Amino acid sequence: MSGWRIVSRTEPREWGSVVIFAVAFALSLLICALLLAVQGKDGLGGIGLLLSGGFGHLYSYGETLLKAIPIFLCSLGVALCFRLQVWNIGAEGQYVIGTLGGCWFALSFPGLPVWLMMPGMLASAMLAGGLWAAVAAVLRQRWGMNEIISTLMLNYIGIEILKHLIYGPWKDPAGMNFPVSPYFAESAIIGPVWNPDFWTGIGLSDGIVDTLAQLFGRAHWGILSCLIAGALCSFFLRKGMRGFEITAAGSNAKAARFAGIPYSRLVVLVMFVCGALAGLAGMQETSATLNRLEPHIVVGYGYTAVVVAWLAKLRTMRIAFFAFILAGLRVGVENLQLELQISSSFANTLEGIILITVLAGQFFNDYAIRRKPRQSVPGAGV
Amino acid sequence: MSAISQHTNSAPQPGGSAQPVVRLEGISKFFGQVRANYDIHLSIGAGRIKALLGENGAGKSTLMSILAGRLQPDFGRIVVDGEHRVFRSPKDAHLAGIGMVYQHFMLIDSMSVADNVLLGHEGSFRISPAKMRERVAKLSAEYGLEVDPAARVGSLSMGERQRVEILKLLCRQSRVLIFDEPTAVLTPTEAEQLFKAMRRMAEQGKSIVFISHKLPEVLEISDEISILRRGEVVDNFVRAQVPDEAELARRMLGRDLRKGDDIALSAEILPGSSASDAGTAQGLKEIMGELPLPKIKGRGKFLAQSEPVLSLSGVRCSAQDSVGVHDVSFAIAKGQILALLGVAGNGQKELVEAICGLRGLDSGSISILDHPVDEYWKMQPPHGGLGYIPEDRRGVASCPDLDLVDNFLLTTRKLFSRYGLLDRKRAMRATKALIREHNVLPGNPKAKGSELSGGNLQKLIVGRELLRNPRCIIAENPTQGLDVAAMEEVWQRLRIAKESSGILLVTGDVSEALALADYLAVIYRGKIVDLFSVEDRAKVERIGLMMAGSASLAG
Repeated sequence: MSGWRIVSRTEPREWGSVVIFAVAFALSLLICALLLAVQGKDGLGGIGLLLSGGFGHLYSYGETLLKAIPIFLCSLGVALCFRLQVWNIGAEGQYVIGTLGGCWFALSFPGLPVWLMMPGMLASAMLAGGLWAAVAAVLRQRWGMNEIISTLMLNYIGIEILKHLIYGPWKDPAGMNFPVSPYFAESAIIGPVWNPDFWTGIGLSDGIVDTLAQLFGRAHWGILSCLIAGALCSFFLRKGMRGFEITAAGSNAKAARFAGIPYSRLVVLVMFVCGALAGLAGMQETSATLNRLEPHIVVGYGYTAVVVAWLAKLRTMRIAFFAFILAGLRVGVENLQLELQISSSFANTLEGIILITVLAGQFFNDYAIRRKPRQSVPGAGV
Repeated sequence: MSAISQHTNSAPQPGGSAQPVVRLEGISKFFGQVRANYDIHLSIGAGRIKALLGENGAGKSTLMSILAGRLQPDFGRIVVDGEHRVFRSPKDAHLAGIGMVYQHFMLIDSMSVADNVLLGHEGSFRISPAKMRERVAKLSAEYGLEVDPAARVGSLSMGERQRVEILKLLCRQSRVLIFDEPTAVLTPTEAEQLFKAMRRMAEQGKSIVFISHKLPEVLEISDEISILRRGEVVDNFVRAQVPDEAELARRMLGRDLRKGDDIALSAEILPGSSASDAGTAQGLKEIMGELPLPKIKGRGKFLAQSEPVLSLSGVRCSAQDSVGVHDVSFAIAKGQILALLGVAGNGQKELVEAICGLRGLDSGSISILDHPVDEYWKMQPPHGGLGYIPEDRRGVASCPDLDLVDNFLLTTRKLFSRYGLLDRKRAMRATKALIREHNVLPGNPKAKGSELSGGNLQKLIVGRELLRNPRCIIAENPTQGLDVAAMEEVWQRLRIAKESSGILLVTGDVSEALALADYLAVIYRGKIVDLFSVEDRAKVERIGLMMAGSASLAG
């Protein structure tokens, strides 16, 4: 028998959990270095490239922020579902269908002024994403279909629909036969936050304007929707009746039913909200960065969102933090791809390794390993 | 090994058994700030039946979990046969011959009795099922624990399942058997049989530890009684020295020792002191203000005097894995308590689910406050409606991971909401007042539901349900597992609530039914065997037989 034993902690750690995260994160990066070394690359150097790509320069923050926007929105919705113990892993498909809903509006009414176009486009994206997610909710509550399976399958269906539209009815006649839609009208394009002309106009000095221009880079006004959605989400979870019902039903569904909480309606609600947020994320991303519909909109933000939600333990502020971290790593992996010729799927590997090490590290939040009291050893062996 | 301390503060052991089988020495256990056990010394002798008495949160369950290896003590040691042992898991305790029969059975319903006994048995690879059946049959005959080894556990009554649990321990040759409130799920007859089996086990030299709140039982069966209060052993008696019931109860509560503290407060709310209860309820009432009668669109008559408040007629519902409900009819008016009396698993659960709108009816109808059940649950008035005190406090009545404010809000949330937002500050004040007035320990509203003992959780739940001024109350085994003081308190609150509502008391405890009810309806296999007034002496005499299904005797 070893001289150590595992005991469950009665008092939660305070700052210890931050240290645990840092150690687990460092460990996961070391594992990645090992994976790079196995492929004959410079392991630690690769990790350096990865981190400097995502966080090393002023301009990397702009790119990181750009990717963090859709990840944050999707993760916010996913976390809401997880809070109710509804295992929605379909943010990816909801992201796609939401984008299609928004594109439909943008392409159908190109002549609208911006103040009609923007709300209309975003609302129709949210509606489409929300309804797509609600399908899985209804399947679950009405016919007992497992939502993990249905949301996953709906992801594939959503992507097929995207392909059908982009290779068929929505293909740009002037697009040299590439699978892309026509460009959106000017009114349907979300601009970058940092528009130097505007900010110099209100009297900021050139130096600051320049620094901020680098810092924000391509990050677009979707960042505003993150702030609004995040604030609303935490407000309603803390203060709202429905928020309380979601927390209670997620904690004990049976108690919730006996207490008259409309459980099925809540499931539909959280799924709809998640789909709407994912749809919003997809449309903003498409409008701001591509300015038209392309197959490239599907890059796995919906899956990263699941990882983020777990890492953040479903807490809004932490979701923002982890969305930023994982977005930065995605940017860093792009750097790695260029410099070391690593396959792009390395980003997924990295995410998976971080998730596993950090979750495994959380064991030390609940348990402590202590040396067994000396006096007890002889008796135990007998 | 020579360091075994010779001091012990337990009672002297008549009968000359020189060394106790198990000795607990200075056991202490802390959960954060809470002192669950403190410096406990206890001896368990061979062939003795020891009762462990104490109110909720006194630390009995913690102590027995330590002995059974589920928890590890912070200080102190366990000495088995004069040898210091450390139990890191229940398995270690099993190897030392110590086993526990939990309140909630740990059996697999779809497997046979013999298979269940076989499961987890040391060296199970080498024992054939046929041999196991033989061995189970032999053991059950030896100890008078009648049960068919080939029967599927799912088809057994609660009493039979308990016998399977006991057989599991006997089969492992456990020498110390711990019973956690074993009679809670038994009919009076089954309880008698259990006591006989316990006696026989003791005669064979086994040691029995028996946790119970029912004083008459404890006096009937035990050789020794130890009383726990606030985590400490305060008294040890051997059979001959045991004082009367009232004295035992007093020692358990420590009322004569601690004047003016919270325990004395709860003792004030004993029968006949409704005035003081009304006095203490002020704080909560001030916070809640006058609850205006709920207005429900187009349903002006909702709060009109309705007579009866709850009525069932010809209710049938079938259930896949249980007896279901067959043709049940009764009605309860304001000011009445009807006890639905029966052994657990005879359709009570299904019936309550049907009333709560969670189970469809095959035929018949239920009406709550003059509204069909579906319609009632669609309206769900925030107050003045139906209050429900579930049997399963942790699984149905509360969310163990949420704090007391959230648990309080679980059913009262509509009283604290406006425009879809919750007034959490007011809810916090109300929870604090409720904790104070209902004497819930520990009194921290930020404590999690899981941190409360069963009795304290029940006080919170009862307070929460009564807060809504329900006009119809369903109370399911409301005092199961509660100590005498808490039980009296719940009873008294129900008696007061009766003045403004009709109560359906679902219980398996005859004495509870007789103490509270105006009418008794005995249920067996989903049917009402008989419904009669509590005044009907002749029928009251035959309750035990009716509960066991002797329909012919119901007359």
